[in-house]
Amino acid sequence: MPNKVCVLGAGSTKYGKLNEGIIEIALDASIDAINSAGITPKDIQAGYISNVFGVSDKQVHMAPVIMSNLGLPGVPGLTIESACGSGSIMFREAYANIAAGFYDCILGLGVEKITHTGTIQSTTLFSYCSDFFYEGGNGASFPGLFASIARSYMAKYKASEEDLASVAVKNHENGILNPKAHVRKKITIDDVLKSPIVASPLKLYDCCPFSDGASAVILCNEDFAKKSGRPFVEVIGSGRGASSAAVQGRDDITTIPSTIAAATQAYKMAGITAKDIDFAEVHDCFTIAEIIDIEDLGFFKKGTGANAVREGSTSRTGEIPINPSGGLKSKGHPIGATGIGQIVEVFEQLTGKADQRTIRDAEIALTHNFGATGASAAVHIFKRAE
Amino acid sequence: MVSKAETGPQESPREKFIIAARRKKILAKKCSLCGHLMLATVYCCEKCSSREYATLELEGIGKVVTYTIQAVAPEGFEDAGSYAWVVFSVNGTDLRVSGFLPGVISPAALPIGSSVRVSDYSPTHGLLLQKV
Repeated sequence: MPNKVCVLGAGSTKYGKLNEGIIEIALDASIDAINSAGITPKDIQAGYISNVFGVSDKQVHMAPVIMSNLGLPGVPGLTIESACGSGSIMFREAYANIAAGFYDCILGLGVEKITHTGTIQSTTLFSYCSDFFYEGGNGASFPGLFASIARSYMAKYKASEEDLASVAVKNHENGILNPKAHVRKKITIDDVLKSPIVASPLKLYDCCPFSDGASAVILCNEDFAKKSGRPFVEVIGSGRGASSAAVQGRDDITTIPSTIAAATQAYKMAGITAKDIDFAEVHDCFTIAEIIDIEDLGFFKKGTGANAVREGSTSRTGEIPINPSGGLKSKGHPIGATGIGQIVEVFEQLTGKADQRTIRDAEIALTHNFGATGASAAVHIFKRAE
Repeated sequence: MVSKAETGPQESPREKFIIAARRKKILAKKCSLCGHLMLATVYCCEKCSSREYATLELEGIGKVVTYTIQAVAPEGFEDAGSYAWVVFSVNGTDLRVSGFLPGVISPAALPIGSSVRVSDYSPTHGLLLQKV
């Protein structure tokens, strides 16, 4: 029987353009999470670190460097990379190691530093996350890949550019309330439609920003959590999925198979359905992604996601609040940290620390995070501990 | 539409794909066990995992499934002008391939379903396409 896995603490730097080095922001988030959990560093038995572009800040082999600078040179660390899904996929591995009984307490830390490289270099680095022989190497950027997905979705389901824009408007409304969000700015549908085209049909405000940032959580078994006497959340579902790495390899470009696979596993493990979820943090790297996510996760029928967003069903007071943190779109997308940042939001929401963003009476929440155009994905479901 | 592959045995699958593309062809594999058709760059059958297959050269002509016109281009494509990255389905098959289509300025110039063909392979811009 696997051990129950809990999240006892969570912390994060601000997301945005940060001046500190990658190790410093990683350590800041780690200390924040350690303080949140009320533990000391010596309680940590392993460090799981997610990062993608450390080489651009002159640091690979990230985990041992972070553990050493936390004052834990003898504690094993592991660095995990799965493009934009690195955080949640790292969390899954840390979860599995607590569940299996290898460790009682783990630091799960995601970190990214990218803004110093500039827009063209960042665009290029991100394109290396694609199936480069067919995609980046033929001129596709990541906005371009999602733009091709958007064009396919819009043609099949008659969605409009205004529908896509409504995702951005909603997430910016949420992000204004998040003191750690990268872009805290109210925008209108018109602002989105008039913003410069990045890759048609996607415009600047359809795209998340390039962000620096770090987020960390403390995972532990149930005994450890209960002995702490502090509020915690339980992980009640965990799923992993995979899709063809290249968009061309998918029979239906308007859905992401890895999301469906991961969600199916997580719901089954938790013994619940999408109807039982009180709110979700989903992977909205581009506005079209959120529309596809909320369909693939089972919140809305295929082809109705755009309408649901437009009608307010995904707002903070709607039928199923989506991305109360502001999502990748407004909170920001430091890609190695994003999946953990979602779990930080869930922890804060379910332990009464979300202030103005609080989703009233929420008890069960879902996080969904994927790598590249959904080649890798993880879904986790959390419940407020009794 | 289909001819036997004419690449040599010494090249890697990706090199063979590129050589075929320079002849305006798409190099594919047909699984000997289950008949599944896939791109030649995939090592094992996606359906049954077999490594027994026949190599085929398909005419590099197909219909646009989806695309984008890149306004902000990645490194190496800054000088490419206005271009589209295109996913197209190879005629007579379910096989889809992606490529670089130069000279596309607006979506009105490339409705979904338009015909495109492989024109060459560029070391800098990859699988080159042209409108038919």
